[in-house]
Amino acid sequence: MNIRPFLFRITALFLCAFLGVMLFRGIAAMPPKESVTGPAAHYLERASRETGARNVVGAILFDYRAFDTLGESTVIFTAVCGISMLFSRRKFHRSSSGLSFIAKRGIGIMAPFLIMYATVIILFGHISPGGGFQGGTIFATVTVLLCVVFGSSFESSYFPPKTKESLESGGALLFCGIGLVGLAAGTGFLSNLSAGFPAGREGSLLSAGTIPLLNIAVGMKVGAGLSAIFYSMIKMLDTTNDYREGGPIR
Amino acid sequence: MTLVLAIVVPLVAAFLIPVFHLARKTLPVSLIGIMGLISLSASMAAAYAGWFSPEVSLLGGWAPEIGIVLVADRLSSAFLLITGIGSGAALACALEKFGGGPWRFYAIFFLLLGSMNGILLTGDLFNLFVFYEIFSVAAYLLVAFSMSWQALEAGLKYLVLGTIGALFILLGTAFTFMATGILNMALLSEALVSVPRETLTAISACLVLGLTIKTGAFPVHFWLPDAHSSAQTAVSALLSGVLVKVSIYALMRVCFLFFLETNGTVFLAITVIGSLSALGGHLMALRQDDIKRLLAYSTVAQIGYILIGVGCASAAGAAAAVFHSFNHMLMKMGLFIAAGNVSDEKGTREICKLTGLWKEKPFWVLGFTVLSAAIVGIPPLNGFMSKWFIILSSAGAGTVIPALVIAAGTVISAAYYLRVLSAFVSPGESDQEDPFKSSPRKVRSKIVSLTIVGSFAMFCLALGIMAFSPFSREYFSSIGRTAVDVGAYVGLVTGR
Amino acid sequence: MITLSYVTSVIIFCIGLYTIMARRNLFKTVLGLALMESAILLIIVSSGYIPGGVPPIEPFMGPAVNPLPHAFTLTAIVIGASDIALALAFIIKLQRHYRSVDLDRIRGLRG
Repeated sequence: MNIRPFLFRITALFLCAFLGVMLFRGIAAMPPKESVTGPAAHYLERASRETGARNVVGAILFDYRAFDTLGESTVIFTAVCGISMLFSRRKFHRSSSGLSFIAKRGIGIMAPFLIMYATVIILFGHISPGGGFQGGTIFATVTVLLCVVFGSSFESSYFPPKTKESLESGGALLFCGIGLVGLAAGTGFLSNLSAGFPAGREGSLLSAGTIPLLNIAVGMKVGAGLSAIFYSMIKMLDTTNDYREGGPIR
Repeated sequence: MTLVLAIVVPLVAAFLIPVFHLARKTLPVSLIGIMGLISLSASMAAAYAGWFSPEVSLLGGWAPEIGIVLVADRLSSAFLLITGIGSGAALACALEKFGGGPWRFYAIFFLLLGSMNGILLTGDLFNLFVFYEIFSVAAYLLVAFSMSWQALEAGLKYLVLGTIGALFILLGTAFTFMATGILNMALLSEALVSVPRETLTAISACLVLGLTIKTGAFPVHFWLPDAHSSAQTAVSALLSGVLVKVSIYALMRVCFLFFLETNGTVFLAITVIGSLSALGGHLMALRQDDIKRLLAYSTVAQIGYILIGVGCASAAGAAAAVFHSFNHMLMKMGLFIAAGNVSDEKGTREICKLTGLWKEKPFWVLGFTVLSAAIVGIPPLNGFMSKWFIILSSAGAGTVIPALVIAAGTVISAAYYLRVLSAFVSPGESDQEDPFKSSPRKVRSKIVSLTIVGSFAMFCLALGIMAFSPFSREYFSSIGRTAVDVGAYVGLVTGR
Repeated sequence: MITLSYVTSVIIFCIGLYTIMARRNLFKTVLGLALMESAILLIIVSSGYIPGGVPPIEPFMGPAVNPLPHAFTLTAIVIGASDIALALAFIIKLQRHYRSVDLDRIRGLRG
């Protein structure tokens, strides 16, 4: 009776093993790399001159391939839009009352420092490791911590969903707006120094043209987006628990 | 210059919609209509520019090998035209049905529009993946938009399979990057020649598998019938008519650029997948009782036809595939809109209960008849012409089996479309007895949808007749020649 | 050394794919997707490795590693996170209706 699922698993196992062998042979056939070649060598050699940023990864993300970054933050925008669409039915919910007094005090002391840390990571994205995604994620962590420790209604009273929505859209529009400046200057969408943005002194906070601005835009978008995702989900889980205990609360 | 606007304008529209929503609860229909018109005119401008003089736009002013380029040639322009017409029609239907209420729907719609233009225009492999991901996420959400349980299940199924497909595309991209160090598609088409054989096999397997899953061809088609049948009418039309074509464009572009000279087996695989899809889709469609599922399985079969055209690896085959994509967009969107409206008003989607429609809504039935005649392939209509071109090119490529499959598929599809039509024209039994049953919902006039169905039917007739003239044939074969002319594409991007 | 990293990631990729194909629990499906994604990210990051490389932040103290895979990984992580968040959202929605995350109990997802 149980022979069919068993056969199916065996087939799946063989398919996966075959695929793995094929993939590994593909990797093994490649010649080993001794040095960086192709466009990456160009980036390593010229990034600080052409973009003014010390962080080469940041220069790639926000200058050479900034269009990818626009697309990728649009993916988050789409996902947030969809998750809040999926969970939009239920308006009212009872949030948990949070954790103990010690945890609340501790987070209360830590939260400003965490926010400062996130800001530093966003603002120094072009001269040190970091950038908009990383800082935005830390910012989202702050809101997640507030959600867990103080309960989601406390968090939503500090960062209302509408604020998050407008921050997210604002970040996206800022990104597109900066890109359109380059287009208006006639040097192509999302162009940086060639569109006349000041390069500044290399290694200082105000340098690298549009890269800090784009970092801020992406930070707004990622931070607001991830915390909106978490908020939508925890709202749902709160109502689920209420449902289990004694009927839905409307 | 115009190319990037085709992507950015819809995205900006999508970002603006939540801002407008904060100011006003329901958006005015005219606002969304104007946004749609501006976005569509931006993509039409890109199509126009690309058709008459192939255009390259360098983003950020960087050279093609270090930055991202957007490229519009005749193949991109043809597909931009398909997506433009299709999404315009779907937007009009959605506006008529929903009004300005569901603002998130429109935000996702504009994101979808922008990402489709991104896929059609980009000349960079990783950028293609990124836009593919926006496109897919938006598509999952549009499927689930009606929030019924079937729609959510279909959305989840689509999401899991679509993500597997995306991960395979990402893996293929990663392998390509590891082997060559570049991501520009034009430069890759030159660089892949010197890649070791095993690596090339892995790259082609990953890319073709991923894109096939996304296309919805037969062995991995599970998500397609569920997704296309459980969505709202306008969304089903969009999914079947437009989204599938975008995936086919990506498959054509990647295969022609990368594997035309390096790995001929890919095209054999595509032909086999196409033949299987054509047969399997038609046979499954024959067994359906649900009219939207029937149309969805018919889409699987038509994807098979298009893939057979692509698998010929010749200019004629590519031209026939593009022509059939265009025709299928017109026919299947019209059929979905007609079937969706008819079944919404009847309150059922079972074919045997959709009776007596000829008396109640003769125009809808007339439109459905013309469109299904076109999709079956009655001679003066466009479906016949594109199938004929596909058969000719596949015979020219030296394989007869796909041609036989297409001929057999035509017979099967005639059988099931005739079944639907005979249900439509048969007299309804319970019209007088139960007045509530015949109109379960408040019926609003659907004049825009009817106009779209009617004009698509007329368009089908016109295209069928136009295809006889050598002048328009020349237009279509020029698309095919552009598609397979790798050297010209490389020269266009690199400026050599 | 770097070969070990590739072998590991290929094995993780296959485990992820097998999990999706063979397991009937929706959460395990999502875990499989996450595994596949991480494996690909590991492949991409490993491909940028240069023997004795330093982080690509100026000024370099030696040969810098390839910065391009890092940028791709960042992009792909965010994309994968959105995908998985969306999948979990769908599953939570379905679980509330069917009270189960088993594929066999959920009608439309068989096969």
